[in-house]
Amino acid sequence: MPDMRFAPPNPIRIADRSSGMNAVSVRSYNERLVLSLLLQNNGLSRMEIGNRTGLSAQTVSVIVRSLEQEGLVIKGEAVKGRMGPPTIPLSLNPEGAYSVGISLGHRHTDVVMIDFVGQVKFYTSLPLPDETDPTNHSRLVETVNQALAALPDKQEGRMAGIGLAIPEDQEELALGPAGMAERFETLSKEIEDALGIEVYVQNDITAAAAGESMFGAAKTLDDYLFFYIGARLHHRLVLNHQIFHSRAHESKPVGLLALEASLCRAGFETDVLWKRGGNWPDFGDAKAEWFRTCVDELKASLAAASQFLPVNTVIVSSYAPTNVCEKIADVVKAEETGIDAIPGRLQLSPKALGAASLPFSSKFTVEQ
Amino acid sequence: MKTVLCFGDSNTHGQVPGGTPLERFTHSERWPGVFGKQLGPEWHIIEEGLSGRTTVHEDPIEGDIKSGRLYLRPCLMSHAPLDLVILMLGTNDLKARFHQPATEVAMGIGCLIHDIRELNPSPGGHCPEILVVAPPPMLDDIGEWEGIFSGAQPKSHQLAHEFEVIADSLEVHFFDAGTVIASDPADGFHLSKEAHGILGKAIAQEVINIGWAD
Repeated sequence: MPDMRFAPPNPIRIADRSSGMNAVSVRSYNERLVLSLLLQNNGLSRMEIGNRTGLSAQTVSVIVRSLEQEGLVIKGEAVKGRMGPPTIPLSLNPEGAYSVGISLGHRHTDVVMIDFVGQVKFYTSLPLPDETDPTNHSRLVETVNQALAALPDKQEGRMAGIGLAIPEDQEELALGPAGMAERFETLSKEIEDALGIEVYVQNDITAAAAGESMFGAAKTLDDYLFFYIGARLHHRLVLNHQIFHSRAHESKPVGLLALEASLCRAGFETDVLWKRGGNWPDFGDAKAEWFRTCVDELKASLAAASQFLPVNTVIVSSYAPTNVCEKIADVVKAEETGIDAIPGRLQLSPKALGAASLPFSSKFTVEQ
Repeated sequence: MKTVLCFGDSNTHGQVPGGTPLERFTHSERWPGVFGKQLGPEWHIIEEGLSGRTTVHEDPIEGDIKSGRLYLRPCLMSHAPLDLVILMLGTNDLKARFHQPATEVAMGIGCLIHDIRELNPSPGGHCPEILVVAPPPMLDDIGEWEGIFSGAQPKSHQLAHEFEVIADSLEVHFFDAGTVIASDPADGFHLSKEAHGILGKAIAQEVINIGWAD
């Protein structure tokens, strides 16, 4: 039997470095461990990476070197330590990978493209296709192509994939045109066929929570209760980065639909409620009434969850103007002792940004 | 206190380009000296550079003492306990008399790594950190050395990649000296004083990047 120490070398990483990111079909667990850590923390030294992953200095050295060569990781400026020579922090290369996120709603389809650190490179909101359209993806494919065209030169190979956030809440699905749910079901395959880019599908609220975990307010949190204010109020429990939900149609009728109804009764124009990145005018008492019911419903869910688990943190996310989530978070924090309530940090379209985080978590992290 | 063994050939010895093994840059000019100065007094640097040293080959002309493998083991034992071993070899393996492709030279480096791991000459009987440094490629014009190194130049350009493949497979640190310095035109494969300075600093940064507790 030959001495296997002297068999031909078997490099797992370096040999295919020239062929770019997509050639690495299966990333090792250790590489994912390092990338997950860098998604959560900016600027770690190799020693910190070793300490936090339990990997040896030499293993970290090999992994980091190959990730640098792939362009996924970059060196920062040397940092002078309190003693000894300066260390070089490592971060994800923003231009190392890109991802597209699509969120399907009963009024709009949001399309976003982000870079490896979650910065928005392209965003648009499309109206729903007309019921008489023979396909439901033509504008979508066109829009994704526009997004791809916005990539810097020679970066096409760095597209990690397309995330699709699909609503499953029966009440919200019922708001859209007839046959919408059925159209959504076939969309993932249609996009994949038309663009030849891998599509990852997720429940829309779960995707929004995943987005806050990867790029937003929950980046450093392990456990939290996630609330999303859309047409209705939705919630998810996140434990050790795992996102749990019971039945998809479990949502509360105290979202923006309820606000719209309340504003209509008071004679307000309500279109602005459904706009992305909009500013709401002063709605006065009509909004205050809704605000209270929304906060009370949120607190009821928090109380229910707290009977079983020690919940310390609540995240309140929405595409609504940032001051809405901020105010809800402030009130929850003031009224619930021991609870930290934080507004979501994903703007414009948390669901679409969350959808865009899906290809990254699937390709680069230890969380599946 | 950390102890580092710099195990190499004439370019670790500090031989002046175009000179003989007795014409040597001063201690503070040679890369191990520069490297040690960068790291500071908490680091003890051991220079083990021998002109003509190969990875594993006993040289039929220069003698068996030129085999890195033969000398590495007693050398490790003499200097143990060691925290880090830096291996910078390979150019001499490309002499025509050895008929070695770059992949075999890399196998020779792998062999030395296995030998270090068998001895485990680190504090507590552990394996020291190992840093493989690929030498910069030879220049096309190597003057009167052309006969001895016939056919070596193209192979010298492949060493960095093949060394990296070995370093990856065996999970050790790696640095390509060719990314910061070039061989000196005086003979086409030795390093100038300036190159020693740059290399010493670059290797110091690589060693710091490894990360060392206290």
